[in-house]
This record gives sequence, structure tokens and C-alpha cells, in this order.
Amino acid sequence: MTYHNLLFILVVLSAVAAVMARDLLLNALMLALVSVGTALLLFDFQAPWAGVFELSVCAGLITVLFVSAVSLIRREDGKVEDSRARFRAMPLVMGIAAIALWLYGIPFFEALENWSRFSDRTASLGTIIWDTRRFDLVGQVSMLAAGVLVIRSIFPRRKK
Amino acid sequence: MTASFSLDWFFISLIFVAGLYGMMVSRSLLRQFISLEIMSKASLLGLISAGAKTGNLALAQTFIITMIVIEVVVVAAGLALLVKNYRLTGSIDVWSLNKLKG
Repeated sequence: MTYHNLLFILVVLSAVAAVMARDLLLNALMLALVSVGTALLLFDFQAPWAGVFELSVCAGLITVLFVSAVSLIRREDGKVEDSRARFRAMPLVMGIAAIALWLYGIPFFEALENWSRFSDRTASLGTIIWDTRRFDLVGQVSMLAAGVLVIRSIFPRRKK
Repeated sequence: MTASFSLDWFFISLIFVAGLYGMMVSRSLLRQFISLEIMSKASLLGLISAGAKTGNLALAQTFIITMIVIEVVVVAAGLALLVKNYRLTGSIDVWSLNKLKG
């Protein structure tokens, strides 16, 4: 229980750091930390398949994509002058949000908990993916193909 | 002590607020994508928390795997757009996108 909540606190703090950090590379690395924390939480929720996907794809592949994008735009003229005052105000905004959620959100979530319908399904992950949800795998595969085409468009072949 | 489900959702909402705030205040496309990722992490944790609560973990996991795949494609498409836009305009400002003409 304590481990679970500590992981949640780690994810919240690294999410705030990922938004607030001045350096773009640091933003990307903090996002990787958010992904690692999320993956550990998924393992803690007894969801190892989702955890492995999160750790390999989100903490690995997406971080590589972000870091390569940062390396492609790492010049002074590519930087955007964001107002730092708005980022410095972020802890204050998060504090206000936390107080508001503690006062008004938690009673709502407790009510939500009472409406939950418990499932009697005991199907395994493989049964659900390959038997129950066969059709949307087509969409998933086409999304992956679209992703490959998009990555190919970042690095086009030079015309002679 | 508050029940675990409500406390989980308290933290999930905080993560979502962090991402939403980042999307609202930043003009850099890259930071906006990072904030979008943070928001999708919050929804992912919401899915697994609801799945754990209702005893439907396997279904929640399959949704999460689908979500992660789509997330990767969205990020790849967004970063491709960002790099192309940077090569055209020399900027990653989100407002430079309105110079694109078809």
C-alpha cells in the first residue's frame, strides 16, 4: 500500500518536472521517468503484460523518438521563448488542484466506487486478444503500418 | 484512511492536471507532446485502476496495449510534423503551424 502510493507520488512529481524543466532533453528524460513509474504501478496492479509494453514501448521507444527529435532541433533559433512565470506558477496550481480534489474529488470517487459492477469473467489475456477482440486487431495493425510510414517520412530518401 | 481506489484516482487526476496545465501554458510543440503523453499516462492508470476494481484486469490490459500502440503512432506522427515544420520555418512554436498552406 505504501509502496503503491509512493509510486503514485513519484509519477506525479516526475510529471510536474517533465512539464516544468527548461531544457527540452530534460523534459524528455523526465517523461521516461513517468513511464517507468507507470510501468511499476502496472506491475503493482498485477498487470504484467501492460507493464512490459509500457516499459519497452513508452519508456524505451517513445523516449528515443523524443530524444532524436530534440537532437534534430537543437539549435538556438529553434527554441521557443515560453513565459517562465507560468511554469514557475505550476507548483501553486498543482497545490490548489490537490486541495480542490481532496475536498471535492474524493467524495465523488468514493461514490463512483459504489457504482462499480464486478465482472465474473475469468478469461485470460490471450483469449480476450485473439478470440473476443479479433476484429480491432486489424485496426491496430494498420495503425502500426501508418506509424512505420510516418517514421519513414521523417527521414526521406534524398533525390539525386 | 481513505480507500485505495479514491486515493488512486486522486493521484491520477493530479497527473492529468499536470499534463493539461503543460498543454495550456507551453507554446513549444515538443512540450505539448510531452504534456499529451502525461495526460495519456493518467488515462492509462485510470483504466487499470478501474479494471482492478471491477475484477476485469485482462480486458483492461488489452485496452492498455491498444492504447500504447496508438500512442506511439500519434507521437511518431506528431514528431514527424514537428521536424518537417522546423525544417520549413526554423521554429517549433505551435503558432508557426498556421503558416502551413495545405
